[in-house]
Amino acid sequence: MQTTLTLSASNLCIERSEKLLCDDLSFRVRAGEILHITGENGAGKSSILKVIAGILQPLSGDLDFSGEDISLYRDVLQAELLFLGHSTGVKNVLTVFENLQLYFPKATDTEINNALMAVNLEGYLVTEAHQLSAGQKKRIALAKLWLTDKKVWLLDEPFSALDTRGIKVLEYKLKEHVECGGLILLTTHQKPSSVLDVKELHLSL
Amino acid sequence: MTYLSFFKSELKLVIRRKQDIVNSLVFFLMIVTLFPLGVNPSSSFLEPAAGGIIWCSTTLAILMSVETMFKEDFHDGSLEQLVISGLYLPFLILLKLTVQWLAVLLPLLILSPLFSSMLFLPWSILSVLIFTLLLGSPALFLIGTIGAALTLSLRRGAVLMLLIILPFYLPVIIFATGAITAAQTGQDYMGQLAILAAISLAALALSPGMAAISIKASIN
Repeated sequence: MQTTLTLSASNLCIERSEKLLCDDLSFRVRAGEILHITGENGAGKSSILKVIAGILQPLSGDLDFSGEDISLYRDVLQAELLFLGHSTGVKNVLTVFENLQLYFPKATDTEINNALMAVNLEGYLVTEAHQLSAGQKKRIALAKLWLTDKKVWLLDEPFSALDTRGIKVLEYKLKEHVECGGLILLTTHQKPSSVLDVKELHLSL
Repeated sequence: MTYLSFFKSELKLVIRRKQDIVNSLVFFLMIVTLFPLGVNPSSSFLEPAAGGIIWCSTTLAILMSVETMFKEDFHDGSLEQLVISGLYLPFLILLKLTVQWLAVLLPLLILSPLFSSMLFLPWSILSVLIFTLLLGSPALFLIGTIGAALTLSLRRGAVLMLLIILPFYLPVIIFATGAITAAQTGQDYMGQLAILAAISLAALALSPGMAAISIKASIN
């Protein structure tokens, strides 16, 4: 299964607020690859990720995941999907621990602890999320990467609001993930460091 | 995410945000106490009006709690996560709704003896009142969910939501107060209760699916 993991789009047209964001877009990502979607603000980087995840519907075009057509129903993909959008999905009144437990009910305390250690949030286990800064909330969401066994990661600006150390740790995690047969689509304005071997997809306005 | 972990975290959220529930209960209490002061505090007026007063304030309290139901999830991005979780969205909505319903209705039911004695509603009618609340309030919640989901992405959607769902609330209120009046005049009230249950069941069948479609349209 791992060897055949591919995600491809063909002739994708995406419209947002009656403006055509991309016309006839095609790409293909295989297991072990990172696709870096670049483009100016408003070029439609986040929209592409949302379309793939199934949050937005494309105007036309086909999506294919490991040989199965997922244009209409994303079930097969969603079973293997981790999506981190602009809004973090972190609940303010829940503690950091509870926020992660919601998404990973089977994770043990040690696993959650280790994930929080990786994103430098150890010691905030029982802090309610509204007491944390924007960057720290972002890192709660990023901690999911250390807990998940999903193969397909869609990451929207994962490096924003992170400090230099956080960026470095995250880059190594992404590298480790693709080496283990995962595939990643990410958008970011920063140039990914040489640690990561990325394919580029440029969107123009 | 699993259904169970979602349900647990919804329970935690309701408990952490108990202020919201206290707010709608205080609101309810205010109507029930101000009404007699404003109109007529005598038992000859209040006894026949009690069912109507309690039902109108229940409806308003439920509207308040339903209107904000998806707002926070929408803004913090957890609604997106629900949509792409691969879990069945209508069922997730139903779980969320059940938690909200319990949180609003349980305190109301516990306080209902107090309300009914404030409004001179005889003890023998109290059981009918509780039955109408139990059978009718699910319909109010379920119909309200569709409205809340439809107006989710609008900045000032509250009034629009009221316009959309209030017409559907009227039959519930009419049959609920009808059952109480019938019981007070010694008539059979099973027919009204059966219709309330029927409306709730129909709403149960339709509303989660429609709310899920509206949510998917709203998060665009």
